[in-house]
Amino acid sequence: MDSQESIGRFGYRQELRRGVGLTDLVFYGLIFMVPIAPFAIFGLVYERSGGMPVLVYLVGIIALLFTANSYAQMVKAFPLSGSVYNYAGRGIAAPVGFMTGWAILLDYLLAPSLLYLIASIAMNASIPAVPVWAWLIIFVTVNTVINLRGIRMTIKLTKVMIVAELAVLALFLLAGLWALLNGAGRGFSLTPLFNPETFSWPIVFAAVSVAVLSFLGFDGISMLVEESTGGSEQVGRAMRLALVLAGVLFITQVWVAALLAPEPLNSDTAFYDAAAIAGGEWLRHLTTTATAISWGVANTLVAQVAVSRLLYAMARDRQLPAFLARISVRNSVPANAILLVSVLSVGIGLWMSTVDGGVDLLTSLINMGALVAFIVLHVSVVVHYTVRLKSANRWAHLAAPLIGMAILVFVVINANILAQMVGLVWLGVGAVVLAILYAMGRRPTLRDSVKEPA
Amino acid sequence: MTRQPLHHDLFLIAHDKSGKPLAHRSATSLALAGAVLIDLVLAEHVSVAAGSAAVTGRAAAGDAVADDLLNVIAADRIGHDPPYWVRSLAENVYDRTRDALTAAGLLVPVTRRRLGMLPYVRHEPADIALLVRASAGVRSAAEGRKSPDARSAALCGLVAVLQIEAALYLGLPSLNERLRALATGHSPLVKELVGMVDTLVQEAAVAVYR
Repeated sequence: MDSQESIGRFGYRQELRRGVGLTDLVFYGLIFMVPIAPFAIFGLVYERSGGMPVLVYLVGIIALLFTANSYAQMVKAFPLSGSVYNYAGRGIAAPVGFMTGWAILLDYLLAPSLLYLIASIAMNASIPAVPVWAWLIIFVTVNTVINLRGIRMTIKLTKVMIVAELAVLALFLLAGLWALLNGAGRGFSLTPLFNPETFSWPIVFAAVSVAVLSFLGFDGISMLVEESTGGSEQVGRAMRLALVLAGVLFITQVWVAALLAPEPLNSDTAFYDAAAIAGGEWLRHLTTTATAISWGVANTLVAQVAVSRLLYAMARDRQLPAFLARISVRNSVPANAILLVSVLSVGIGLWMSTVDGGVDLLTSLINMGALVAFIVLHVSVVVHYTVRLKSANRWAHLAAPLIGMAILVFVVINANILAQMVGLVWLGVGAVVLAILYAMGRRPTLRDSVKEPA
Repeated sequence: MTRQPLHHDLFLIAHDKSGKPLAHRSATSLALAGAVLIDLVLAEHVSVAAGSAAVTGRAAAGDAVADDLLNVIAADRIGHDPPYWVRSLAENVYDRTRDALTAAGLLVPVTRRRLGMLPYVRHEPADIALLVRASAGVRSAAEGRKSPDARSAALCGLVAVLQIEAALYLGLPSLNERLRALATGHSPLVKELVGMVDTLVQEAAVAVYR
């Protein structure tokens, strides 16, 4: 089916330019995930997993490969760039789409706060004279100005950032392996993969609920479906490829870091401490600066666009206040959405910077929003293909989503209790908003002209 | 007097007297491309129906950009929809419009320096009366002095889409809404075409890459 026609079936016109190839899609996913993401949360994952971060990332990648499969199925059915909100709304029902969009809003709205906070903590580790709160305000201000001026990541800049991050990672791995060969740390061992003394599934899944943060962003590739030169098939391939690539990078770096990490461990700076053992203070500064730039600038630029798009899509469908769909044509930016996210980022970031375990809590909340949305995504595949279309493809349309869903449910059950409670409260607020929308006669509807099989 | 192409008028309105653009380049390009298509539709060279654009009369439109668009639509075998043509044309319509206005002597390139060092070129209107003339239809419609024809109504809509109504110096309250109402209230065709450009401009603001 012609791509134009396939989009037209859903009442949309293909309005975004098609011109992004497989490599560009993978690079976009990687810049969103951040190839050096574990630098920032390694300490947390190491602590939570009883010293088995490699196993945690392995379980994480398996869980999210199932999620990528479900994304690929839904992108194929609904080749629209509106995130999981679109797929659940069209695959199941509009109100479910609203609740799913609301769930993932928790991820999208809080993600910039966490990115700024982690970047600020990293810079504070490098330059302790400047407090975290000051760095946070600097990062938010700089990014807000960049965003409001309409400056975007370009395909070229994305590649440059990825190459730079990979270069820092390569330096760390080389220095780390050299240090291990020379007797630093604990020497080569399989303990980061499996430690019989600390292993239990609840511990592993609790750690996965934190580590999954490193993988968030692979789903951002689906936003480029309308620009993809290979359409929905290519988007599905890119998601799997980006996940596997990121997974290999994550596992390698946390394995080396786990063998070098000093005891007792400082969960905020564990990776940087390991880098200092591997290569000295210069490597500590390099890894902290790389974290600050990749999280505080590169990733926030793409995260800002992602949250703007979700807010815009939901507001355009009259499921959020209309002011969030308004744009400033002068700089061609969704100015209201940018300002809202910036204000939230400053408020939440400053608050969390004073809370003990603030990074942990923010990470858990973001992951909670994403995981709930991913669970609904799996349900969407089953409902759309197996229930509605009576698909005979039992693996892709029934077994795979159910397995993926089961893993994610287990991760959610073992997640931070406070995050579970806040997540439930967030969903409760979403239900109230939904009820208000119904009461006002503005029941959720998507621009869905025809419901027909893909 | 033969009227200027719609996209020429819009280009003039979308820049101040020093040649500084009043809206983002991507948005202006989409609006200019929309103006070219609207001109062709209003002149009945092109029809838009059932989600696709089709050439109805092959007579030259008299403008190089419009004629090129007419030719590619005529050669199209897939039946692409109007947003496709607007997006395609938007890639170079800005430069082509500016160059055409410059070649006609309506714009004059002027080199200036940022901070006294970095040179840049602006294209100033050769005569301030050009700006007044380009916006005359929109101004009289907005002030309620004259009922707009389809072309003026479309231009009202495009000015509202680009949020550059301040360039009209009318000082009227809710001018953007008023201009939008003039466009949408004129005819379903103008409403549809201006609405399409509006959507494209909004989509561009949340595009991942541009």
